[in-house]
Amino acid sequence: MSNRKQIAIIGTVGVPANYGGFETLAEHLIEDLGQKHDITIYCSGKKYDKKNRVSTYKGAKLKYLPLDANGIQSIPYDTLSILHALFYADVFLILGVAGAWLLPFVRFFTNKKIIISIDGIEWKRDKWNLLAKWYLFWAESLAVKYSHIDISDNEAIQDYTAARYGFLSRIIEYGADHTLKVPISNESIEKYSFLKSQYAFKVCRIEPENNVHLILEAFTMTERMPLVIVGNWDKSLYGVSLKSQYSNHPNIHVLDPIYDQANLDILRSNAALYVHGHSAGGTNPSLVEAMYLGLPILAYGVSYNKVTTENKALYFLDRENLIKEINNIYTSKLKTIGKEMEIIAKRRYTWAHIAHKYNLLIDEVLNVKTKTSILSSMANLPNKTLLKNGLAHLKTLNTF
Amino acid sequence: MNTLFPISILSSFVLTLLIIPPLRKVAIAINLVDKPNKRKVHVMPVPLVGGIAIFISTALSFGLVIPHNPEILHYKNIFFSSVILLIMGAIDDRFDLKASMKLVIQLVIAHYVFSLGIKLESLHGLFGVHEVDDQIQYILTIIIITGVINAYNLMDGIDGLAAGIALIAFVTFLIISILTNQKSIGLIFATNIGALMAFLRFNLSSKIKIFMGDAGSIMLGFILVVSSLYLLQNTSQLHNQSSLQVLAVLAVMLVPVFDALRVFRKRMKSGKSPFYADKTHLHHLLLGLGLKHRRATLHMIGIIITILIIGLISYKLGGITFSIISMVFIIFMVTSLLHFHNKLLKWKNAIKDSEIK
Repeated sequence: MSNRKQIAIIGTVGVPANYGGFETLAEHLIEDLGQKHDITIYCSGKKYDKKNRVSTYKGAKLKYLPLDANGIQSIPYDTLSILHALFYADVFLILGVAGAWLLPFVRFFTNKKIIISIDGIEWKRDKWNLLAKWYLFWAESLAVKYSHIDISDNEAIQDYTAARYGFLSRIIEYGADHTLKVPISNESIEKYSFLKSQYAFKVCRIEPENNVHLILEAFTMTERMPLVIVGNWDKSLYGVSLKSQYSNHPNIHVLDPIYDQANLDILRSNAALYVHGHSAGGTNPSLVEAMYLGLPILAYGVSYNKVTTENKALYFLDRENLIKEINNIYTSKLKTIGKEMEIIAKRRYTWAHIAHKYNLLIDEVLNVKTKTSILSSMANLPNKTLLKNGLAHLKTLNTF
Repeated sequence: MNTLFPISILSSFVLTLLIIPPLRKVAIAINLVDKPNKRKVHVMPVPLVGGIAIFISTALSFGLVIPHNPEILHYKNIFFSSVILLIMGAIDDRFDLKASMKLVIQLVIAHYVFSLGIKLESLHGLFGVHEVDDQIQYILTIIIITGVINAYNLMDGIDGLAAGIALIAFVTFLIISILTNQKSIGLIFATNIGALMAFLRFNLSSKIKIFMGDAGSIMLGFILVVSSLYLLQNTSQLHNQSSLQVLAVLAVMLVPVFDALRVFRKRMKSGKSPFYADKTHLHHLLLGLGLKHRRATLHMIGIIITILIIGLISYKLGGITFSIISMVFIIFMVTSLLHFHNKLLKWKNAIKDSEIK
């Protein structure tokens, strides 16, 4: 049993998973990796009441910190988790870059192995203020440079990290096989009358980067099918004004957040079309879940969404595009797209597959010493020598 | 005597306003214009007559002042030196001179200024150093004069910037000269203040725009650096407590000089000539944030005033060396942060392009 290693999973809200993609991932990692290694997971005491706390969960040790795992507190949260893990862990599996400022020190002074998932291009998102953007931009660079292996959740992000840092990121997405297809019952039809006919569905945080305004506007200009849209409308001025503007429109059903997963699954799994407006960098768990349910996808045409759907879904970039796509699509074509999405999801987005990829990375990281650059090895020559021989371009991946 | 200051400011202001329109026409006729290219921000050819206009109107204003204050003739040698630099700059604007040729002329002028007795005699307590040897005085004076001239020349990249910085410097110098009772040199500052304000009226306009050209920035840089040296020398002779003046002079000169040094170092590090034209100056970094010219200029001026205030506060707290170190530190921080933010924006745009492909 000497091969058992101590693995610390840092940066999630905690398990049992109630929150987002990282937490569900952590839960599946416990099941998969727990057979080979000893796992410790750091959890946010703010999200788990004292009476609900346990010291082990499915064989993994849990450590609670009295901080939030998200927002500004994620910096001390991840920092303290990393410091604590220094005492025992062999491998750090860090999800998110908030604590990355410590990584240079960890690398210089210890032999710990670090795997970090950078979770999309956070510093670019409008939800952060300038200081947070600066920190995240810097933290991301440390995360990539000072980890043994870094993980992107999307091919398009791998392109970006390769161009910016000259390292090849590994791609691991999210699983979706925890989502359920729920048939329509009479009871639910009573509650949601739109279930009787075809409808388009969207669930997301109500933020400009998810293109909510654009999608609402487009659905007021088509009669092809109504839009059912679920989100946290009351959280921002943007949401409040959209809600008041569109809640009475006959073709749009504006719904408040639905916390009962079964109810949400009914609405989601019976939709004729899933509209995905996310523009932020990365693979979105909600998109892979919709794919797993076999829904035809109409997604915002950014590289991340195209890569996730293997360019086989429908895409839009502006209002006119979107209206045209909605009006022109045949029901039979929708069925075909839905089937294709399901095939992709069953191949790529199952937790067994995702956890297996992490498993392989753990094996690999235990055997690597340094990270290999994708730049030509000639680029390590002194700058002067490169300049003299007209080879200075080897130092950069810029092709423009 | 004191009424001479407002009169000089006003006369050079009005004269500049009157001179520029005909000079514009002449400049267009003889092709003394700045043509747009990839590195430049404007799209129409712009007449390069600002420096000449500033020179003519300040000269005429001096003419008006001489009968009331003949002492001003004391500075005629400096005045002729600036004429030489102005002519050199104007030829460069029209025909392009070789960089080495320009440097030689500047060195000769710097040597001449030193021979007139205007020089850096003391470090005024910086790093505990006061009076320095004659050879060191000579070397430092030559380096400072040519260095500042070129720093100002390089700073002249966006609308209103070189003139705005020169304006703050001249106002600061005027205050110092009044406080230390050096009225005749104060008149030189006053005429420049008036001329620069009138120049800015045209420089910031979009319809009747002019630039000061190398002629203007080289001449202004020269007048500023010689004035700084002169003030440093004379206030320390006149007053025991001269450090505040030293500080004020340094603060207004520090930003252009520091920025030029930073850019040179960066270019040399990447194997280019220090004079290789690119877009890495402080004002380019501000433009990189998406600021318009005027805004960027105001930010630069804001930065300089902040540094002046920080310099004064830290001087009170810890003396001259501490003060200079903290000013340099602040400039360093501001530039690094701007640089960092520009990098972030660069990647943001690169990602945006790749997202929609």
